Amino acid sequence: MIQLIISLVVGLALAVSLYFFARRVKPSAEGSAQQLREARQTLDSLQFGLLPNDLVQRIFAREDLEYVLSAAPPDVQSIFLKDRKNIALAWVRRVRSAVLDLMRFHRGHARLHAQLSFSTESRLALNFARLLTACRLLQIALYLRGPYAAPGMVRTAAAAAGRVCLISENSLAFLNVKGIDPAENDPARHRA
Amino acid sequence: MSLPINRTDVELAADDLRRRTLSHMPAPLERMIYLGSTRDYNTGLYYHDGLASRFSDEVACEALALCHRESYRQVLDSSVEDLVRQLDRYIKSTQAAVCDFIAAWKSLQPYRVAVPAATDPLAAEFLCANVRVALAIWEAHQDGRSPQRLGASPQLSPVR
Repeated sequence: MIQLIISLVVGLALAVSLYFFARRVKPSAEGSAQQLREARQTLDSLQFGLLPNDLVQRIFAREDLEYVLSAAPPDVQSIFLKDRKNIALAWVRRVRSAVLDLMRFHRGHARLHAQLSFSTESRLALNFARLLTACRLLQIALYLRGPYAAPGMVRTAAAAAGRVCLISENSLAFLNVKGIDPAENDPARHRA
Repeated sequence: MSLPINRTDVELAADDLRRRTLSHMPAPLERMIYLGSTRDYNTGLYYHDGLASRFSDEVACEALALCHRESYRQVLDSSVEDLVRQLDRYIKSTQAAVCDFIAAWKSLQPYRVAVPAATDPLAAEFLCANVRVALAIWEAHQDGRSPQRLGASPQLSPVR
């Protein structure tokens, strides 16, 4: 009886994995181009929207906190701290989500491109893992202790995200071939 | 069909705009609000009669958009303390009654629509939050509610 149950469970597990394996959609040429374009947009939004040094420095600027604590009444101070916390959390969330998008894209496409170098890809994987962990820890710190809790961690996360962008950019150099609208790669379109 | 825009013309028009009009507005916040108001909210296109007559509608539009993005970036880069100073200067330049100004800015939040198109939503939200806090600090200074600390005060002049 027990053997029968075990066989049934194993059989069921195999059937389920076969179902999920069969459901995986093979990327079509059009789908692939669309994914490339999306990856490019994600990369641009990270590089030009979320990671510019001046924006990151402004969001986490301690001088603003010092000024508000010295010049604003308590009700304004709490509004300021709440706003900054929300913005800081939104920043980490968006960086994390963009990195996850890039990671998914890489995972899906790495096996299709023979030109990708193993060392670059392993470096990228390591940076992805490090960055996702840093983002998660930063989220927890900001949530529990406010927007000025971990300036060092912010710098680490921003630097790691910058590295991921750079390696990703090199690794996805094939994105700049014909078929991708060059206007979409124009940084001026993404800057404020 | 419109002709392709010459980038040099746009730069010339932008310089002209900076020299003749924007130079009278020292605060980036004031420039951003002004340039935002030259945009048609239905089409997203910028209009400036004087500039269009010297160049063309398209070139004037591009030049206004360029200067708008420029002033937006400057406001975004401003500290809260600097924003309070800019707001003070701007309120004085409008010559509106202080209570009316504060009521309008709190309810209508005109700085929200003064943000250029295609800006990152997070950056735009950051800017709006900073302006909101700067306005609250400015109001507290006027009411005498803010803790006075020498050197930390934005040295606002009495408006009322």
